[in-house]
Amino acid sequence: MRRAYIERQRQAGRRALAVLPVHHPRELLTAHGVLGVELWGPPGPPRGDGAGRLQAYVCAVARNALAFLQAGGARAVDGVLFPHTCDSIQGLAALAADFGGVAGRTLVFQHPRGGARPSARAFALAELRNLSSALAELTGAPLDPARLGWALGLHAEIDACRAALLDGRARLPMDDAALYALLRRGEWLWPEEHLAELGAARALLAPAPVQRGVPVLVTGYVPEPAGLLPALAGAGLYLAADDYAAVGRRVVRAVPAGGEPFLALVERMLAAPPCPTRGTDQGERIRWLVGLAERSGARGVLVHVQKFCEPELFDVPAIKAAFAGRGLPVLVLEGELERELSGQAETRLEAFGEMLRRAA
Amino acid sequence: MILRRTQYELARRVVGPTLLRLEAWQKARARSGRGPRGGPFGPPLESTRKLKELLSLHYLAGRYADGAVPVAWVTSGFPVELLRPLGFHAVYPENHAAMCGVQRIVPELSDAVEQQGYSRDLCSYARTDLGSVVTGKTPAGRLPRPDLLCCCTNICQTVLYWYKALAAHFQVPLVLVDTPYVYGEVRAHDLPYVRAQLEELVAVAERVAGRRVDPEELRAVTVRAREGSRLWGECLATSRARPAPWTGFDGFFHMAPIVALRGGEECNAYYRLLRDELQDRVKRGIGGIREERHRLLWDNLPMWFAVRELSTLLAERGFNFACTSYTNAWAEAGVQVDPADPYGSAARAYTHVILNQDLSNRLGILRRLAREYSCDGAVLHSDRSCKPYSIGQVDLRERLARELSVKVLLLDADHSDPRAWAAEPGENRLTAFMESFG
Ligand code: SF4
Ligand code: SF4
Repeated sequence: MRRAYIERQRQAGRRALAVLPVHHPRELLTAHGVLGVELWGPPGPPRGDGAGRLQAYVCAVARNALAFLQAGGARAVDGVLFPHTCDSIQGLAALAADFGGVAGRTLVFQHPRGGARPSARAFALAELRNLSSALAELTGAPLDPARLGWALGLHAEIDACRAALLDGRARLPMDDAALYALLRRGEWLWPEEHLAELGAARALLAPAPVQRGVPVLVTGYVPEPAGLLPALAGAGLYLAADDYAAVGRRVVRAVPAGGEPFLALVERMLAAPPCPTRGTDQGERIRWLVGLAERSGARGVLVHVQKFCEPELFDVPAIKAAFAGRGLPVLVLEGELERELSGQAETRLEAFGEMLRRAA
Repeated sequence: MILRRTQYELARRVVGPTLLRLEAWQKARARSGRGPRGGPFGPPLESTRKLKELLSLHYLAGRYADGAVPVAWVTSGFPVELLRPLGFHAVYPENHAAMCGVQRIVPELSDAVEQQGYSRDLCSYARTDLGSVVTGKTPAGRLPRPDLLCCCTNICQTVLYWYKALAAHFQVPLVLVDTPYVYGEVRAHDLPYVRAQLEELVAVAERVAGRRVDPEELRAVTVRAREGSRLWGECLATSRARPAPWTGFDGFFHMAPIVALRGGEECNAYYRLLRDELQDRVKRGIGGIREERHRLLWDNLPMWFAVRELSTLLAERGFNFACTSYTNAWAEAGVQVDPADPYGSAARAYTHVILNQDLSNRLGILRRLAREYSCDGAVLHSDRSCKPYSIGQVDLRERLARELSVKVLLLDADHSDPRAWAAEPGENRLTAFMESFG
């Protein structure tokens, strides 16, 4: 279905790029008329000739992506964009560029790490202009600055809707599975279509809470396998606050006002929530998470990480300690991008749910 | 402060050297009457005694450094030249973790942080260091508390996550040099970014040290750092001779000063001594192993906990590691620093370290090393802890074997956690690899 959608978009004159996780300037892609199709895995064991090119101690996100790309998974698009998320994605980008296996162009986007220093702002600006030139080459047309202004506005609206749905989660008459299916369609839909869907969901927000489960905060990488969400519901829980790198951590709430579009884009990037893959300070991240938990009334915290994912794993002890100090139970669930939720994970979720329900 | 400073200087200049001389004299007495080291190795390097002395002094002084001088904990790829003129005592947690690896105390230190929720899948250097911080256990006696944490991502992103955890623990400033990854060539905006960060970090370091960088002193440190890297390169280059006058495994130990004491005169004096000894061995035909039949290239970090076993296994069959990409890295970056332009040249040099360059570059380095050192095989250590070094090795193995017509082995292990090394199957694989040479 996704392949057919991409094909229709290309027939309508757009270009398409497969995009590896996580942070990248979607606004810029939109402004250039390029559809970004994000590649989180795909779930399941890696298959095909590329499966053995990365060692088993590299995370499944990188291994599966390589196997998928080498098996021709990117044939439907015009190239692949690698944001410099971590050592694994960086290594993957180097592999793809140097040793083949990926049809079409490979583009990279290196975001500055370590917060909003003057050097970081200048680098982000140069990097965005650099990517813009590469996109102009891909599409054969230079960027119209007015289009970037328009794209910024469009993505700000999308973020406003996403923030309304996530922050008003308790008042949204939708289960987690349906909500996340909607939110994650933004990973591949053309943004105007996605905004229309989000707007429709936003209209459903009730004036008072409608969710009956125990609210929990989730922090982690990506809500895969999809079976996790029904399992949470089965345990009597719902995701009241989201800090998934794939979802909530990309919603910019404080939208900087106007100005030169590239500068505004830099400010938008820097205003995104703290994320270890962007090298943000641990204390800042903890304050952010505590704020999310408090605002949502979360009664427990689910830390949902990928095995071998160093950016996330290094913060786990600090997260555990911070919430233990506040009396909020924490469950750490580690996955390997399986297709199905393991029986063991399901049991642990059930036990966690039972404990939270008893305490509620 | 004055008392602390006096203790620090006494440890560095008087007590340390005296104790070490005494220890050396006792060891020499105990050795007297015994013949040279037996087994498959050549006679031991005389310089090793001086190396131990140098490192012991550094760690001994470190015990008294906090409160006496500003202390920085620094990643191995950080441009330390910029800190030296401010009087920082630099601690290298990676170097310290390697020491813990050699002493096989990594599992114990790692267990301590695994209990706090750190995953065993994280880099074992980071686990070792954090474990040492939590437990206070260290073979160095004591590590001084940092006033500043200095991290450069030119070796990996892991160091950033690790140092962020340290910053949260010690509640001290963390300065970061974020080096854009190099695909082929650097782009126009890469080096200005790195240079600007160097200027930003110096401002923070000056605040912490309470003094300004003296440009003359910076120039002098840069001259010494470049000289140190050049000398280290000369030491390594002696292994182009047949037989190589030392083993690649020796090189792993003797690289400590260029990592931890770069920019100081004691580092350079040491490498002059080592170079002269190695060159003399070359002249006299003395090898690192008694009978060198095959010369290999080693890629990636060593397995610190198994260096002795592996070097013996190899030496007994006439195999020596004539060169290693890891030790070579320290000879290549440092020579690019230029006293006439300390910031600009540091930006260039530190952005171009091997792990910050794409796989074509890396393949080029391995290919060149294998040719220059006349290697007839290579072992690529697939290091579970070190993703940036290990990703791509499956392809590198195939390319090296094809392009150079040499035998290449991919060996799964870890650089300092012995729990990730299956000794028997691993040694069997190495043995089978050596037997394939006929
Ligand atoms: S899961 Fe973690 S390690 Fe893997 S690609 Fe994503 S950020 Fe990198
Ligand atoms: S061993 Fe590898 S991952 Fe660990 S600190 Fe060194 S370069 Fe980074």
